[in-house]
Amino acid sequence: MKKLILWLALAGLASCSPGYHLTNRTASRIGVDSVTAPANASVARFLTPYRQGLEKTMNEVLTHSTGRIEKGQPDGPLNDILTDALLQQSIQRYGKPIDCSHLNFGGIRNNLPEGNITTGSVFEVMPFDNQLVVLTLTGDMLQQLLDHFSSGNKLVVGGMRAKLQNGKAQSVTFTNGRTLQPSETYTVVTSDYIADGGDNANFLKNAIKRETLNYLMRDALIDYFRQQGKTGQPLTPTSDGRISLN
Amino acid sequence: MDASASTRRQFLKLLGTAAVVGSVAPDIMAGSARPKTTMLTILHTNDVHSRLDPFPMDGSRNAGRGGVARRATLIQQIRQEQENVLLLDAGDIFQGTPYFNVYKGEPEILAMNQLGYDAGTIGNHDFDGGIDNMVTQFGKATFPLLIANYDFRNTVLDGKTKPYKVFTKDGIKVGVFGLGIKPEGLIPKDAYKETKYLDPIDIGNDMATRLRTEQKCDYVICLSHLGYKYDGPTVSDNVLAARTRNIDGIIGGHTHTFLDAPVTVNNADGQPIWINQVGFAGINLGRIDLTFERGKASMAGQSVEVK
Repeated sequence: MKKLILWLALAGLASCSPGYHLTNRTASRIGVDSVTAPANASVARFLTPYRQGLEKTMNEVLTHSTGRIEKGQPDGPLNDILTDALLQQSIQRYGKPIDCSHLNFGGIRNNLPEGNITTGSVFEVMPFDNQLVVLTLTGDMLQQLLDHFSSGNKLVVGGMRAKLQNGKAQSVTFTNGRTLQPSETYTVVTSDYIADGGDNANFLKNAIKRETLNYLMRDALIDYFRQQGKTGQPLTPTSDGRISLN
Repeated sequence: MDASASTRRQFLKLLGTAAVVGSVAPDIMAGSARPKTTMLTILHTNDVHSRLDPFPMDGSRNAGRGGVARRATLIQQIRQEQENVLLLDAGDIFQGTPYFNVYKGEPEILAMNQLGYDAGTIGNHDFDGGIDNMVTQFGKATFPLLIANYDFRNTVLDGKTKPYKVFTKDGIKVGVFGLGIKPEGLIPKDAYKETKYLDPIDIGNDMATRLRTEQKCDYVICLSHLGYKYDGPTVSDNVLAARTRNIDGIIGGHTHTFLDAPVTVNNADGQPIWINQVGFAGINLGRIDLTFERGKASMAGQSVEVK
């Protein structure tokens, strides 16, 4: 008898409760579109105020521009204004000086329009939820970063000027007056995506220090443009030629 | 009551009926001892990613597809046709449209309440608003967030989620538990904080066995955000399926995999279990119809009958 009970237990049949067992299973994948189903009125009604609020948010006019602000290589008005904005907002958030800012060229997803610049415009430029990260680097590592992104003339930076030659950054000068010395340390604000080795920048994982600002890049840009709009002065698309080809 | 005699009776009955159940049973048993058949319909989504509205009509591949209000209509129709329905989500409810950026997940959760979701699990992007936001938004849910392999004890989420839930539908006991992906390297540490990730195979085996034996579940579903399949040894739904026992079906997510139909994988006991995943963004609703008969059997159409 014991043997019998053991066998039943092994087969998973030991329970005294009757239970159920599966005799058939079928599956289907139902496409959700206007053909398969009309919108449920009550759910649609529930969404309406959220959508309207969203449109209101996305349509908030932050500032104005006298012309289209476009990205460019090796430099462009959009490159400059975005990196300057990120540097300024990051310094405010960090509460300490930061030497320079960096953006990956591919992360700039659209240009800013002429006329009204809305929250939606900024979402189109920066749809990703990238966090701002302050990296502390030796001069050597910063040079490596600049060289890495100079390849293909895709160096987008704020707080410095440089000349590109054969995919290397030369004649680097900082707006704050510092010079690039191999053994000194520098702070650079970039995205968590780059700080974590994105765009093949794996060497940045060896940074001396990595500090998250808990501040989305996009939020920093929205804050910057909103503040700028309050001055009443429209933006004028200009590039200061901080990055030039040698 | 003499338990062993009763067991013996069950066993003898098993020997008497096992051979016929499944193939020719309906005709032979019709009229007199036809067993009670109960249907259960599982509806499921994964990686909806804040796609409350259909994709905009901008000529892109998914233009006009999806939308939570249409999904509501479909679910309502199926609920009218089927008595026993479970509606489940496999994670990454949040992130992907400005709805999340602006409202931090509230309309996603409230919409799921309206659609009558029975349970969901947690995806990596559900951490995107931070762990405090998860407490706020999950607090608005009328359905439980199930996750068995995240230890939230040292976080604000402690006690706000459950490892599993047992649903009883027309007498059928369905155990549902959740498994999440490894946060390290995927989610910012600032977002998941002191969440401890526990091995999904160990926890999956433990959960499924407990649901089967202690909770006497007739069917065990794992809601997984591990991902369908990877090159290399990374744990996926395929690995989970093959290395565990007592899970009957895996509803997956994370990899945004469009499976035309569930994929069958033999588990550690050699039983063919199902893995399903239906893409992302609410473009599809997955539907699995299960038929049960009274009596114990191992699983998956291996009809072994005990009355």
